[in-house]
Amino acid sequence: MKIKWFYRWEFFLLLLFIVEIAIFGWISPGFLHVNNLLFSMNDFMFISIAAIPMTLVIISGGIDVSIGSIMGLCSIILGVSWSHGVNVWLAVIIAIFCGLAAGLFNGLIILYSRVQPLVVTLGSMFLFSGLALVISGGSKASGYEGISGFPDAFVQLGNGSFLGVPNPVWFLFVMTAAFCTLLHFMKYGRSVYLVGINSKAALYSGLRIKWISLSTYILSGLGGGLSGILLTSYFSSARADLGSEAVLPVITAVVLGGTSIIGGRGSIAGTVLASIVIGFMQYGLQAIGLTSEQASIVIGAMLILSVMARQSSFQKVMQWFRQRKSNSSDLMY
Amino acid sequence: MGKESLLQMSEIKKQFSENLVLKGVDMNVLSGQIHALIGGNGAGKSTLMKIITGLYQADSGQLFMKGEPVQFNSPGEAHKKGVYLVPQEPLIFPNMTVEENISIGLKQTKKVLKQKMRELNSTLGWNLDLSRLASSLSIAEQQLVELLRGLMRDAELLILDEPTSTLTHHEISSLFKIVKQLAHSGKGIVYITHRFSEIFELAHHISVLRDGVISASGPVSHFSYEKLIQNLMPEGKTFGSTMSVDHCKQEEKTEDKTPILTVKTLFGKRFRSVSFNVLRGEVAGIAGIVGAGRTELAEAIFGISQCVSGEVFLDGEDISTLSVRERIDRGLVYIPEDRSAHGVFSIASLKGNLTSAILHKGKGWFLPFKQEQKIAEQYLRQLSIRALNSCQSAESLSGGNQQKIVLGKFLAADPKVILFDEPTRGIDASARMDIYELISELKKKGISIVLISSDPEEIMALSDHVWVMHEGKLVKKLENDAITLDQITSASFGVEEEVTAP
Amino acid sequence: MKVLSRLLQIREASILLFIFLFVGCIGIVNPAFTSGDSLGLILKSSMILLVLAVGQSFVLLTANIDVSVGSTMGLSAAVCGILLSHGVSGYLAVGAALVIGLCIGAANGLGVSFFRIPSIIMTLGTLGIVRGYMLFYTEGRWIEDIPHYFKELSAAAFLGIQLPVWIGGIAAVLAFIFLSRFSVGRYFYAVGDNEAGARLIGLPVRFITVLAFTFSGLSASIAACLFVMNIGFVPNQTGSGIELQVIAAAVLGGVSLSGGQGSLFGAALGAIFLEVINHSLVFLKVPAYWNNAISGFLLLLIVTGDSRFQLWLKGNGKKKKQEQEDMNRSKLPKSGEDGYEDKVVL
Repeated sequence: MKIKWFYRWEFFLLLLFIVEIAIFGWISPGFLHVNNLLFSMNDFMFISIAAIPMTLVIISGGIDVSIGSIMGLCSIILGVSWSHGVNVWLAVIIAIFCGLAAGLFNGLIILYSRVQPLVVTLGSMFLFSGLALVISGGSKASGYEGISGFPDAFVQLGNGSFLGVPNPVWFLFVMTAAFCTLLHFMKYGRSVYLVGINSKAALYSGLRIKWISLSTYILSGLGGGLSGILLTSYFSSARADLGSEAVLPVITAVVLGGTSIIGGRGSIAGTVLASIVIGFMQYGLQAIGLTSEQASIVIGAMLILSVMARQSSFQKVMQWFRQRKSNSSDLMY
Repeated sequence: MGKESLLQMSEIKKQFSENLVLKGVDMNVLSGQIHALIGGNGAGKSTLMKIITGLYQADSGQLFMKGEPVQFNSPGEAHKKGVYLVPQEPLIFPNMTVEENISIGLKQTKKVLKQKMRELNSTLGWNLDLSRLASSLSIAEQQLVELLRGLMRDAELLILDEPTSTLTHHEISSLFKIVKQLAHSGKGIVYITHRFSEIFELAHHISVLRDGVISASGPVSHFSYEKLIQNLMPEGKTFGSTMSVDHCKQEEKTEDKTPILTVKTLFGKRFRSVSFNVLRGEVAGIAGIVGAGRTELAEAIFGISQCVSGEVFLDGEDISTLSVRERIDRGLVYIPEDRSAHGVFSIASLKGNLTSAILHKGKGWFLPFKQEQKIAEQYLRQLSIRALNSCQSAESLSGGNQQKIVLGKFLAADPKVILFDEPTRGIDASARMDIYELISELKKKGISIVLISSDPEEIMALSDHVWVMHEGKLVKKLENDAITLDQITSASFGVEEEVTAP
Repeated sequence: MKVLSRLLQIREASILLFIFLFVGCIGIVNPAFTSGDSLGLILKSSMILLVLAVGQSFVLLTANIDVSVGSTMGLSAAVCGILLSHGVSGYLAVGAALVIGLCIGAANGLGVSFFRIPSIIMTLGTLGIVRGYMLFYTEGRWIEDIPHYFKELSAAAFLGIQLPVWIGGIAAVLAFIFLSRFSVGRYFYAVGDNEAGARLIGLPVRFITVLAFTFSGLSASIAACLFVMNIGFVPNQTGSGIELQVIAAAVLGGVSLSGGQGSLFGAALGAIFLEVINHSLVFLKVPAYWNNAISGFLLLLIVTGDSRFQLWLKGNGKKKKQEQEDMNRSKLPKSGEDGYEDKVVL
């Protein structure tokens, strides 16, 4: 039933998505072109990719606001190690490890100090973005242009396509499938939910709560690292400030996707759908002639309205639905 | 007693979505009266109280305060009319001093308030230090703070919601004195409790709430123990006998004399030098007052908290250094006292709850959905949990059924030894019988149970032998005929410290 | 030792100590830092963060959070700037800015208290809406033609203290008095400490929540006016990202994110400390890009250090109490104890 409930919210997001596409298509017919739609996704893939592991963090009852800084840090580390003569793919691996290490750092401090995750990651947000600036400043990479001139193979990672679908979208597919499996079909995912619902009860049930919350931060660091790499490839330049504005869109995507900010509820599919809805909204509004920042009016309003709807009427409607259903078909589940 | 009417309720009805909780409640509390209100879990007591104090509004019906019709839209309005609720779990502000806790929300100047507080404190004979930080108060002291809050607001009707559930024996008797004193001075008191002995000791008048209506009401002299239980039981279900409990104790003891759980000189937070053995298939009671260190001991045996020194053996194997998970795997489980906070995953499905303690067992990293379903159905049936299906969320169940879910989750771990902490806390009379039956069934299966309880009668009825804990030490072991109320109570309070030789 | 550990328990004292130590250390390396001029400059420029941190503290005390202050500040600054550049009187422009802050804050408060939207989500939403609206309103342009008289206000001094410091100081002191001297002030603590309890004893929980967010919004617009005064122009990114610095400042000053704990004085000191760090690097001849790394590192160090210290104190206190109890017990006659243990071991 729980899964069913989520399914419903995702269904609502899907509807929203279709309505959105239809409206923009109606306003500017060029919008509806399949290739146009697919390739416009490249613009916001980094949000989706960071939001997927963030879903786990928030479900387990934490939050990670350092994600944007991790993107910048990984990007600049990739760039600096490449410009120092490291093979670009090796540099990518170094950047991934850097993301994992940043997540590990967050998780360890949260466990060790017992300070709220928001405070700790707020501090590490400054620390990571500062480190990124220091590394970039130390290697004389100018702030605006960053390190560029990456080999074509690496640039294709974010700009090329395979079977007519852009690489970042493939990337999203893989991430979604992997994290869906992890969260919804594996024991690990179940324990993430349980810790988020009631960490005390999880402790008494013999779950390894420390490891579980630590691991969600590591995964979130991984998400930040992958996003940073993708952004670097997409812009074909490594900069310390890549992703510095990503925190709020990432959290917006997770929350709009149905994840409860206090933990225990949420799904990967919801997050992915929500991030796509937001992305296309931004893209569509840009097509109409607004800047992406002006488009944040609509996204902010969507966030508040959706949570308001879920808080009150949506739940009531669903309850009514559920009751009717369970009356008619008790044995279905 | 028997003066003017203080608060009268007539035909109070309240519905939540499609669930009619109160079906027309009539009740009349007089000034100077201690009015006991009893009822099973889910009978609607707390809803009724929330309506009286303005947290909820009734769908229909009328409240009268001293004859005049009133309606409370918020607790503040109820306070102005002299109604004050002392909640079951005290709701204090931990980061404030006692004084601030009491005076917050009152309009008079600090000086006047302090003066009044001192006077109240001295007339009631409490010596509560007003400058202490509330987070340092014991639960009993927190309750006193709540009472003072009500009195400072010139409450004429005090509602006490299970005030004794967290108190020690001493504290209970001083509370009783205070309650009687308050009633004597003309205040009306609604006293909610599960403990019958308190009713007969304290109350003038009894009302029984069952399924949203008052099923019986009258002066306390009209009631007997049996009649009360009869009124509490759901209609159609007759009450067997409290004595059925004794059966499980009478059964012949198992032949197996090898201890399954051995605790050797365990030291830790709030307990010292604890050693005992539990044999296979026996129920070992640990009696004592609240705060004697029993829960801390159980948590240390289970591995939740660290112990300073000492060893724990399960089935001959030293488990002192193992994690909680490993201890569960070896067959040791602890059913925590506070089951809603430490046991239930409220928004998880029943399936998810029931399998949470065995999630890591079995091969593979993937969730075994079919097996999970089977386990869930098995325990829903075995514990007769009233649920539509195994996918609904735990919070949609009543309190009693949620408790059973917690039991089921630990039984699913296939334990050899169960540390059962306050098995009947917050449970109504009929569910209590179910739990007792379950314990005797488990015992028959050869599972050993360490029963921790503050209720001496419960301990006496169920245990094969009893240890009494006092100030962190096991001060006494009682067996067979030595298990008497006198012995348990006196040892609980450390009256005699010598040990009966085995 | 006892006095020191007592002092360290008071967060305000420890942060003040940190500030003095830090300023002292930098002063040793570069005496120019401790000159009146440069300290005055730091104080003046820290007023924006200080006012915001004081406003945010009200929200944090009620166990909520307000991440929309940056964009509220941006919009207020834009409105104030545009009105001024159109020749509207200074009073009216400032008044309009304050009204905007008030309204946005109240809207946040209503959403959180009446519609039960978690505060982080509500203010995240208004963050986007207000930021987007500001860019509509300014059409993305910078506002540069602020009249001279308004810019000069920032240099105006009374009793040797500059006007922005007066404004920030007075606002902070008024807020401090309101919170500590009026009984309503305790309500903020009560709501954050135990919301259910506050409701039960009849406190106006919703009203207090709305009030807290309104103060936070108001503080954002005061900060906006200071910004216009100090900087003299309004870039379209005004205030973006400052919300996290504000929260960091309040947390640094000992305001707890879980509500009910902390003081405005601490939050103000936290804001000053952050600004001191930012400005000190120049004097240390460290490149400015070290700013964030050092602030972040110090924030983590202080917050985790404080948490560990409190835990240690608690553990230590308990241990001592336990020892005391054990001592007392050992004085009692204990006839059976030892015999009992022996028996079981056998």
